[in-house]
Amino acid sequence: MVNRETALSAHYNVGHFGLSGPTGVTLTEVKDLQLKQIAAWPDTIAAVGAKAAAAVGCSNAPGPCQSSTGNNGVLIRIEPLKWWILGDAELPELTSAEGATLDASHSRTCVRVEGPNAKDLLNRFLPVDLRDEAFADGAVASTAFHHVGITLIRQGDAYEMFLPRGFALSLWELLVESAEQFGVEVV
Amino acid sequence: MTAKRLPSGGRIDRNKPIMFSWDGKAYEGYEGDTLASALMANHQYVLGRSFKYHRPRGIMSAGVEESGAILTVGKNDRRDPNVKATQQTLHAGLVATGQNAWPNVRNDLNAVNGLFGRFLSAGFYYKTFMGLPPFEWGKGTGLWMQYEKIIRKAAGMGTASREPDPDKYDHAHSFCDVLVVGAGPAGMAAALNAAEAGLDVLLVEQDCELGGDLLNHADAESEAQRLAATTALKIAGVRIMTRTSAFGLYDYGVAGLVEYVTDHLMHSDASTPRQRFWTVRAQQTILATGAMERHLAFGNNDRPGVMTANAGRAYLNRYGVLPGQYIVVATNNDSAYKVAAEMAEAGAQVTLLEARSSVSEDLKASVNHSNITVRMGTVPMRAMGGRRIKKLDTATVNGSEFIASDTITCDSLLVSTGWSPVVNLISHRSVRPFWDAEQACFLAPDISEPVYMAGAAAGTWNTDACEDSGRFAAAKAISALGKSADAVSTQAPARQPEVGGWENPILPLYEIKVAGKKLKCFVDPQHDVTTDDIRLAHQEGFVSVEHLKRYTTLGMATDGGKMGNIIGLALMAEALGREIPEVGTTTFRPPYTPVAIGALRGRNVDHHFRPLRQTPMHDWNLKHGATMTDAGLWHRPWYFARVGETITEAYIREATSVRETVGLCDVTSLGKIAIQGPDATELLNRIYSNAFAKLPIGKARYGIMLRDDGFVMDDGTTWRLAEDEYFMTTTTANAARVMVFMEELLQVRWPELKVHLTSVSEQWAGCAIAGPNSRDVLGACLEDASVVSNENYPFMGVIDSTLKGGIPVRIARISFSGERAFEAYVPSDYAPALMDLLWGAAEPLGGCLYGLEALGALRIEKGHVTGTELDGRTTIDDVGLGKMASPNKSFIGSSLRQRPEMIKEGREQLVGIFPKDRSLQFNAGAILCDENVVSGHGEGRITAVTHSPAIGHWIGLGFIAGGHEAWAGKTVIAADPVRKGNIEVEIVSPHMVDPSGERMHG
Repeated sequence: MVNRETALSAHYNVGHFGLSGPTGVTLTEVKDLQLKQIAAWPDTIAAVGAKAAAAVGCSNAPGPCQSSTGNNGVLIRIEPLKWWILGDAELPELTSAEGATLDASHSRTCVRVEGPNAKDLLNRFLPVDLRDEAFADGAVASTAFHHVGITLIRQGDAYEMFLPRGFALSLWELLVESAEQFGVEVV
Repeated sequence: MTAKRLPSGGRIDRNKPIMFSWDGKAYEGYEGDTLASALMANHQYVLGRSFKYHRPRGIMSAGVEESGAILTVGKNDRRDPNVKATQQTLHAGLVATGQNAWPNVRNDLNAVNGLFGRFLSAGFYYKTFMGLPPFEWGKGTGLWMQYEKIIRKAAGMGTASREPDPDKYDHAHSFCDVLVVGAGPAGMAAALNAAEAGLDVLLVEQDCELGGDLLNHADAESEAQRLAATTALKIAGVRIMTRTSAFGLYDYGVAGLVEYVTDHLMHSDASTPRQRFWTVRAQQTILATGAMERHLAFGNNDRPGVMTANAGRAYLNRYGVLPGQYIVVATNNDSAYKVAAEMAEAGAQVTLLEARSSVSEDLKASVNHSNITVRMGTVPMRAMGGRRIKKLDTATVNGSEFIASDTITCDSLLVSTGWSPVVNLISHRSVRPFWDAEQACFLAPDISEPVYMAGAAAGTWNTDACEDSGRFAAAKAISALGKSADAVSTQAPARQPEVGGWENPILPLYEIKVAGKKLKCFVDPQHDVTTDDIRLAHQEGFVSVEHLKRYTTLGMATDGGKMGNIIGLALMAEALGREIPEVGTTTFRPPYTPVAIGALRGRNVDHHFRPLRQTPMHDWNLKHGATMTDAGLWHRPWYFARVGETITEAYIREATSVRETVGLCDVTSLGKIAIQGPDATELLNRIYSNAFAKLPIGKARYGIMLRDDGFVMDDGTTWRLAEDEYFMTTTTANAARVMVFMEELLQVRWPELKVHLTSVSEQWAGCAIAGPNSRDVLGACLEDASVVSNENYPFMGVIDSTLKGGIPVRIARISFSGERAFEAYVPSDYAPALMDLLWGAAEPLGGCLYGLEALGALRIEKGHVTGTELDGRTTIDDVGLGKMASPNKSFIGSSLRQRPEMIKEGREQLVGIFPKDRSLQFNAGAILCDENVVSGHGEGRITAVTHSPAIGHWIGLGFIAGGHEAWAGKTVIAADPVRKGNIEVEIVSPHMVDPSGERMHG
């Protein structure tokens, strides 16, 4: 199988940029993204949620604006009737009466943002309340980055943004340029 | 007789001198200075020239209301006009120049305008130069257009740099429980209490330090109080932003801020933005925005050396500059007594003019000083002196009149006629301030939104009462958020402190009018609006203050009326014989302080002006010679020119190759939607006008969907992948619209349908392979070429297969070009691999890469419609596809497409267009007219044109009433009056190449 060429591959420059001194923000593209969608109907949401949770290896399917991490991946509630499964977890078999599954691994570019100024950088673009009490570990938001709809999740002290692939390079350029004010390390 | 820098005192650091330049000469100031204080210390008094009359102007204030010391800072591409010297922190290397003056502000030849002042009253230019008699009696602005250029040059403000702004600007969002605007005693007390109650507090201050008016105090006690409060705020975890102006208050607790990040620095890191535009969302807002001291309308009240009393105090106590040696303090209220006492203590000879006839003994005792002379019942009448006040004619108060009195020699005049609480921000919430006659000021009422006024902004004058007022506001915010104030160290008072706080009542005073004296009294100095202009406006019939404002331009300068609005309202009230509350106030609108366009645009500039969307083969296309063009937000290949080729030569070669051999085209930008669920077929059958119920698995079908109103919305192909799974393609332009419309149908109208929609536009990269050799090319790339053989793979077939290298590929045999063609889609990260494979097979066969221009030529030849034809005005019948619409089912738009206007005879029909003289070219956008009636809206229009390689001349698509049958054999004029002129054309069938479709079925 040929290598995957992501939206950033040809434009990804590793190193420290902007303000010298300590690194305020670390940016990483999460490569080889495995992203599958699993959707239920209003009357099958509990059953499908349980199958999704079992596939990922977490105890419960997360509710709206939440995610759960299991041994095989991360389960993210992205819409009232939809989850994303991140990672190697096998998609459960669903009949069309139960729901539907879809591979969307190439549809997004995943950028991880971490470091002491991670929230500050994200709030340079995202109108989302990222204060700990409003956006704790595992939180999920659908929001807008320079007019483009994106998905944001928090994992510990790191944040992952799922950018629509076609816009990813344009948004990445903005992100890195803005991150320079904090001192940024691209790894 | 000059201002003087004192040897000690103030918040400046005399060990850190700073060199700067003013109008080409070098001067020295100190760290902690503003540009205004440094210029004053250097005896620079004339800092600007006025808008119309070019009168000399100097420092009038020490804050955002400044209307005199307005100048240009920086040079070349960093030149900022209209900077208030009072707001500009002094930094090394600062370059400031005067503006609106020639050759300079000290000697401005345009000052001759002042001699004609009586002619330059409100509305002068418009009255005079519009419809100028006798040339333009009562009509026209033609001459004005000529004069305006000259007038604008002579009347105005500074000029902006014409070069691109080299600085970066930033946007940012913040959230807080409580936003406190203003860090004076009230704001600091409010922020501290709210934070101690466990709330997340954002404290915003436009100054570089916290303290508000405490910064202008000289006593050690005030400074200790300020430092203690600052420390307590930090300990309590208050987030503090200085050099940040809250310029607007919007719905649901949204506030707009501008943070001046580097404007006070000589050098800053290149990655640090110059300014940052904040959108703050606060649950509760406390406005502790203070109050601004008011001026007085008397003769030549704009002379340099005349400023507000508290500004004088700021220069003395904060910047260590005594404004003059012989100072007159003119007041009608208690607040200026402290100023007089401090000036005297600093060594000035002070004359205190008190408009009131008597004040309390305590107040009198506060100015009992050997350097102070007090004159009761006396006001300033006229300032004398050229470039600086030298003498002051006074008048005595006699009831409601003034009588000219003697003349005082002086070098400074500090005026206080009361204080105006800053109610601007709350006014942005459509709140009308009310007039408090006792304090002679506008105050904000309580409002239903969680926005509270505190301190001087609420009309409270004393420091202790201001703090109480802040705590009272914080208590409201704390309880509104359900928190307890138990942890708060300083308890809030049970009631809002009373408005006011002066021992002696203020005597309202706005204008000094003396019988027999012609005085030039400025109300809005920045726009040169005088008291006479206000009266003229009244004489000419202006009654509403909103009209008065626009006619005289009172309050429309860069200070937004901070300096003169109240005087203007008082004069209008007087002229109308009414009281100020009846006249009311004009509406304050954002921004409170000017906001640079750069801050508004942030990083959304140049190629980041809009988000840019690239296909996964973008770099591959560029590497293979593509010239790109914008298609909505997408960048798409336009054409692939070989060395020396023009765009026309390139697209003609590309289109020819497609018809003769094979071409490859990036079609990733087409919208792609996954449609899944047991009711997927039902949904498609309802939204497409043609039948979809019986589409077999493994087949694609072209479909047209209408809007509710029966007009065509979009077209595309939909592929059935499984019993309950489809893959829909839309046009590039309508991808989002179609997705949203279908989502709306499912969520709102047909929630019972079990269908999931997912945009997979980004998941799949697509390439069209078109031309007689397309099957060979595609087959060569597949692990098993036989899957695309004609027998296995008929027209409109859909298969999932595998490319060499193991890449999964989804293929449909569909054609936009009219040739045998396929669309192949792979997961996006494999797009370059797909292109390498296809090009590796196509290039040796003489194939080409083609772009949008050739794509357009091919589809025009075939009469295939796109967005230019499906423009929201055309019906399915108009585009010749009416037979597709099923008569046997209901679908979106099926009823309303039957409206009489939409089915009437003679509507415009899609047609092909040939030039009569085949050598001629014509334009899209031309109007099709009967050859005898080349006027009006004509009979139709041309939507698209191309040179057709297959036909050998220019052709077009368009619409004409009645369609091509009605115009067979007739000559039609393509009228294009502003470009090519009129060209004779013939109307033909839109299917200009291979009308039977043999080529694509082969």
